[in-house]
Amino acid sequence: MEDPSSRTAHDGPPGQVARGGSDSETDVTREIKTHFRVCRFIMESGVKLGMRSVPVATACELYHRFFECVSLRVYEPYLVAMSCVYLAGKVEEQHLRTRDIINVSHRYFHNASAPLECDREFWELRDSVVQCELLILRQLDFHVSFRHPHKYLLHYLMSVKALVNRHAWTRTPVAETAWALLRDCYHGVMCIHHAPQHIAIATLYLALNSYGVEMPVGEREWWQVLCEDVTKEDINAVISDLLQLYDMEAKCV
Amino acid sequence: MDRDLLRQCLTHHGESLFNTLQCEQTENPDFQAVASDLAKATYERRGAGEGCSLVEQFIARKADILFCPTWRTAVPREDELEDEEATEPYAIMPPAELFMEVPFEERRAMLYRDLERGDAVVGRINNIREYGFFLTLLCAAGGLRRDIEDLELSALCHIKEIPSTGSHDDPLSYYQIGDLIRGGVKDLDRYQEKITVSLLPASLCPRLAHIKLGVVAREELPKHYSRGLRVANDTRETYERILRGCHGYHNPSVVEYLLGRAGVSDDRPPSLMRGLQSKHFHEEDFATVIRKKQSASWALKCVRSGVDHFKHGRHVEAMNEYNKALEIDTNNVEALVARGALYANKGGMMKAISDFELGLETCPDHRNAKKYLCQTLVERGKQLQEQEKFVTAEGLYRRALSLDDSYPEAQAALRRITDTIQKSIRLREEATAKETEKAKSGKTSAQKLRKILKDEKRMKKKRKRSSSSSSSSSSSSERPSLSPTSTTSSRRRSKKRRRKRGGSERGSQRRRRRSSKRSEEEEEEEEYPAPPNTSASFLYRQGFLGSGAGRGEGGEEGGEEEEEVVVDDRRISQLYSLSAASEDEGSEPRGGDGEGRRGRSFSSHGKGGRRRSRRGSSSESSAAREQGKARRRSGEGRRRSRGRSREEGRSSEEGRGRSREEGRRRSRGRSSEEGRSRGRSREEGRRRSRGRSSEEGRSSEEGRSSEEGRGRSREEGRRRSRGRSREEGRSSEEGRGRSREEGRSRGRSREDGRRRSTDEGRRRRKASPSSVESQRSRKSTVAAERPPACRRSSSGSLGQPAPPPAAPPPAAPRRTSLDGGRSQSRPGRGAELRGGEGPRAPPPSTSTSSSNGQGGVARPPQPAGGGAGKKGLPANLMDIFNKIAKFEKEKGAGPRK
Repeated sequence: MEDPSSRTAHDGPPGQVARGGSDSETDVTREIKTHFRVCRFIMESGVKLGMRSVPVATACELYHRFFECVSLRVYEPYLVAMSCVYLAGKVEEQHLRTRDIINVSHRYFHNASAPLECDREFWELRDSVVQCELLILRQLDFHVSFRHPHKYLLHYLMSVKALVNRHAWTRTPVAETAWALLRDCYHGVMCIHHAPQHIAIATLYLALNSYGVEMPVGEREWWQVLCEDVTKEDINAVISDLLQLYDMEAKCV
Repeated sequence: MDRDLLRQCLTHHGESLFNTLQCEQTENPDFQAVASDLAKATYERRGAGEGCSLVEQFIARKADILFCPTWRTAVPREDELEDEEATEPYAIMPPAELFMEVPFEERRAMLYRDLERGDAVVGRINNIREYGFFLTLLCAAGGLRRDIEDLELSALCHIKEIPSTGSHDDPLSYYQIGDLIRGGVKDLDRYQEKITVSLLPASLCPRLAHIKLGVVAREELPKHYSRGLRVANDTRETYERILRGCHGYHNPSVVEYLLGRAGVSDDRPPSLMRGLQSKHFHEEDFATVIRKKQSASWALKCVRSGVDHFKHGRHVEAMNEYNKALEIDTNNVEALVARGALYANKGGMMKAISDFELGLETCPDHRNAKKYLCQTLVERGKQLQEQEKFVTAEGLYRRALSLDDSYPEAQAALRRITDTIQKSIRLREEATAKETEKAKSGKTSAQKLRKILKDEKRMKKKRKRSSSSSSSSSSSSERPSLSPTSTTSSRRRSKKRRRKRGGSERGSQRRRRRSSKRSEEEEEEEEYPAPPNTSASFLYRQGFLGSGAGRGEGGEEGGEEEEEVVVDDRRISQLYSLSAASEDEGSEPRGGDGEGRRGRSFSSHGKGGRRRSRRGSSSESSAAREQGKARRRSGEGRRRSRGRSREEGRSSEEGRGRSREEGRRRSRGRSSEEGRSRGRSREEGRRRSRGRSSEEGRSSEEGRSSEEGRGRSREEGRRRSRGRSREEGRSSEEGRGRSREEGRSRGRSREDGRRRSTDEGRRRRKASPSSVESQRSRKSTVAAERPPACRRSSSGSLGQPAPPPAAPPPAAPRRTSLDGGRSQSRPGRGAELRGGEGPRAPPPSTSTSSSNGQGGVARPPQPAGGGAGKKGLPANLMDIFNKIAKFEKEKGAGPRK
């Protein structure tokens, strides 16, 4: 795409090389890494823009779904990411201004630089973001509203909390951990490949497991109760995907 | 690192985790500190699984984050339980162990482990003994959500724990077997498995203190319990199905709510990614910060180009740039200072000052802002000084000096102005002394005039007697108090008061009966159809008033008496409505305006104004008619009465209401003109007042006018008006002398006061205002200055009068002529006020009632032609009237100075 942002995107944040690398890397791993970086960009921007978790998740899912259909070579991923953030703000009723998105992105790519002037470059960037938003919409056939695991996770948390001694629960930061795991899982495409309930249960499972919280044992496990169709294999699959993402971080950054 | 948490984790995962931890966290001093401690214990691996090694590796790698004490971001919120039950902001699910089918023994053990003193439980009474009753626990009602119904838990509620109802009955007699009881857990014996509950609120923990204890209905049982019952009865129910069926699940902000409950921050979201730790986010990278910086720089760019324009003399372009800059970045200091400088250059000192001050607010040390502000303040001070607004100018100088005490120009200017002020004070004192002398000399002539008027009245009364219409019962009852025989002013006054009160009560009753929508004017008109001979009736009333107040004393009482009466009146008026009284002050400087204001305010505050006016019209008018002859006797009486009592105002109303005589119209026309001229001179004040009052609804228009008056009256306005008023008074007095419709004319003059300030809203109000105004004006003489705020508020409080009946055709042409000079907004009003009265003669004089320093005395220029002719007042009376008016004016003006 002939966008001004593509220029800036190629510079990349320090320590991040947008493209390229050794030839030994296969295209697939390279793409995964790029996606990881772009999603990291979305999440960082989300924090700086004051976005809530659900809009950020929507932005990531928009991004992943978009690049499921098209090649990374054809479209500039960072521009798509900016438009995804913008679109996600609309979808999740947390409207963001393009100006803020451009400012935050600009600073992300040009570390510690002065804010953009109100000149042609700014307006071109803005135009490209808006144009790209339309592109995404068309590419996704206007299916831009997703069911996220967030709601499930929080309700599961409430139910699980009732099973545990309240003092043990307040001592153990299960909620924070589960929430962090859930947010982190959007670095990869798992949000598309797994059901939201499964992701919610897996993150909760991992969080409980990390702290060794003992759950009462009945005829059925607690996760079986919360979601009828989840199996231990599903949970393990999600967890292994998730743990891979954490390994990826070291490789990508 | 949280050692207990780590130990808990190691207990769960076993030795292998510890080994991995030691590998992964070798460089973490925190872990090394606790490692030796943890190594002592041996861990058995409990849960075994395929993914375990991966998970253990993950835990080990992220241990520094997971077990960091700061990882817990917020304290979970536990309040609002009551709200949750009622509104269900999230899906309240039945206890999960219900689905899990946890064995009985384990559940029972869990309950005894987790139930605590202070929790609320619900149980059913299964046994009542003399020492208390026993409950079978059904569910926990707060603090714990467990499935306990089938656990066969029994709890004792001792008789001491049942609050007594105050009677001597056995408290247990209120409870029956099978009752559902909510109680607080008072004590718990985990080994003996004994629970005691209490119905005393103190037994609950503070967080649950809002829960009511005692008997509960089935519908009041907690939601998680009732949903649990559904699950127990229907095996097909699954967790997910119930979840989706819950109202709270579909709450669009359920995520935010539950995050708050869980204590997770979404502003600084947690992450286990190293790169997303919140410590990596710098404040200056956040969107709001960047935007702020950017706005400032963009605004600065605009300012720069604006300054460029300014330097080349393109002031409009420069102003546009500055405004753009301020649009981008409100409170941009540079833009404010630049714009202020431009304003100052263009002569807009006030705007410049406000810009500079705004700039200094955001940046108190801005050098240029300070400097320019000083210069502008001094400049503005000089302007004011030229306009003889010394006090304000002095204030500006002082302010300039407070910013920069070494500013020589300000110092010099301040010195100069202090001298001038002192000089002017001296001059004023001298002037006052002179005036008092004059007043003394004027007394004799006034007395003469009074005598003449008395005679005249007597004559009129005789004439009237035959024509007077039947009086209403109320008026007749009041008659004795009005009788001319009363000798002392004090007695008279008290009677008047009584009368008024009675009238007011009556009025209020009437009002209550009537629909609030209708305007007062309408009411009056309906109730008191205009008699054919309005002018006469009007005179009677005045005469009667006069007789009530001043006849007995004759001419001796003089001006002082009048004043007293006025004071008295005012007090009464305050009794009736504070707001009305408050209006007085505004009006003081110029009688006419003041009257106008008052009248408005009265009419506008529904009660005070209405009451009085009604009274006037109903009771007094009739009474006046009957006694008309007697009243006619003394003209002075009339005048005095005006000054003293509001009844005149009333009477004038009647007059208006009953008959629409040309005389009135004429006077109105005149007054309107005056209004115009005055209006011009006081434009400033008006503007101010308008600006202020614009927000207040239509009812506040009066408020506006009064404010104008105020604005004007303070400072030079006062002085000017006095001077003016004197002149006006002279000219207008002819009219007075000739016609006895003074009350009316006054009303009109007041009206013009109103008109000046006019707004369209006023249009609605009709005839009545004038009378009311007259009352006001009277008060105004006495009025002490009150803060404008109270006046305004009073006016604002008035109910909105209903739209006036359509003005009769003749009014239309009039309107245009009257309004011509004034602002366009006015026309409708003036016309409607006068509506139905037909064409008026052109205003003979420009003077207004405002001329009278004392509201009571002040009379608007009388309808010269028609009124005078009709009443047949001797022409030479006019001179006397003039003198009296003058005298009164001076009197009124003197003390105020």
